Amino acid sequence: MKPIHLNLAARPYRDYRPVYAVVVLLSLLTAFLMLNNIETYYRYVHETKSTRAEIARVEEQTRLEKQKHESARGRLQGLDLARLDDQTRFINAKLAERAFSWSRLLDELESILADDVRLISITPGFDEESRTVHLALHFQAKSADGMITTINHMNLDPQFSDVFPTSETQDDTGTYTFILSALYQPQTGQSGAQQTAGVTR
Amino acid sequence: MIWREKRTLLLILALLLLGNVVFFLTYRVQYQSRLDEMSERLAEAKGQLDKTKRARAEAERSLQGYRKVERDVQLVYDETWSTQPKRLTALIAEVKRLAVASNAVPKTLSFGRQEAEDKSNTRRSKSVGAREMTIGFSVTATYEQVRRMINLLELSNQFVIIDQIALAQGEGNLLTLNLRIKTLFRDETVAAPGGGNRL
Repeated sequence: MKPIHLNLAARPYRDYRPVYAVVVLLSLLTAFLMLNNIETYYRYVHETKSTRAEIARVEEQTRLEKQKHESARGRLQGLDLARLDDQTRFINAKLAERAFSWSRLLDELESILADDVRLISITPGFDEESRTVHLALHFQAKSADGMITTINHMNLDPQFSDVFPTSETQDDTGTYTFILSALYQPQTGQSGAQQTAGVTR
Repeated sequence: MIWREKRTLLLILALLLLGNVVFFLTYRVQYQSRLDEMSERLAEAKGQLDKTKRARAEAERSLQGYRKVERDVQLVYDETWSTQPKRLTALIAEVKRLAVASNAVPKTLSFGRQEAEDKSNTRRSKSVGAREMTIGFSVTATYEQVRRMINLLELSNQFVIIDQIALAQGEGNLLTLNLRIKTLFRDETVAAPGGGNRL
């Protein structure tokens, strides 16, 4: 006798387990990627926001610096620098004249003059650039060798250079008058006179 | 059959996954390059800032340098040289005092003045806002007295420049000294020193 198999199901039987497995797998993968993407997006927005803010801050600072630079340049261009330069050069020349020690020059001349030679006058001219003094020296001598001796003595002194005669005259009394020009460079650090502070350009 | 029955769900899940994969591959890859680009912009901006700061500092240094020079010039004109009404009598009194101190008192003093000019390094002389005054005198004295007078003039607090010295033999051991000294006064009629521009 054949057994009776009753099928009371409303629908045919299906094994959905593979489908559910795939659904779960896809869901998990999607969730993982989504979380990762959200985190990436948030980080990008956050990091670029702070960087953008920093760029804006730096650019603002640059703008302010440029303004200050332009302001300083404008003030510099507004100056009469040529006139200031002329005045500075002039002041330095006068301070050099003031600082020039006549006492030391006279000491120096005393040490080189022969007994029969007498100093009559000195006229200095100051050269600011080379820091030398052009001297026009007027002498009187009793002998004909007076000028030669004086030139030789001055040539031996390192503080005098370029010693050159301008004229020599013998008068009726037999006295020789001669004029020499020379460059005088005082040794530094031996100022005999009060030094006045210079203006630095 | 079973896949077809659940296709809607599967399609939705597949689309979601695909979207996330696309976002991941594109955004994640672009992410680093965008960050790098932003960092480059930041570095460039910082470089520009440093450059501008250096230029500004240089300009301000120059300005401060000129400001100092102008102050020094102003000090010399206003304090050291001053104006003729403020310093002339004090200068003459000082010269007379030094003559007495060196026992070589001149009988005559001669005075002269002219506008001071800067003649250096230029074809024509330029006014520098100062007037030059000279005092000349002749005195008979010994060589020691002459040296003492010269030394006192050099050490004087007054701004005095010995311009020229001439000596002549007198009687005995006496010499006749012809001395010309000069000083400077700020010219009140000319614009203030430093080009008249206040920094």
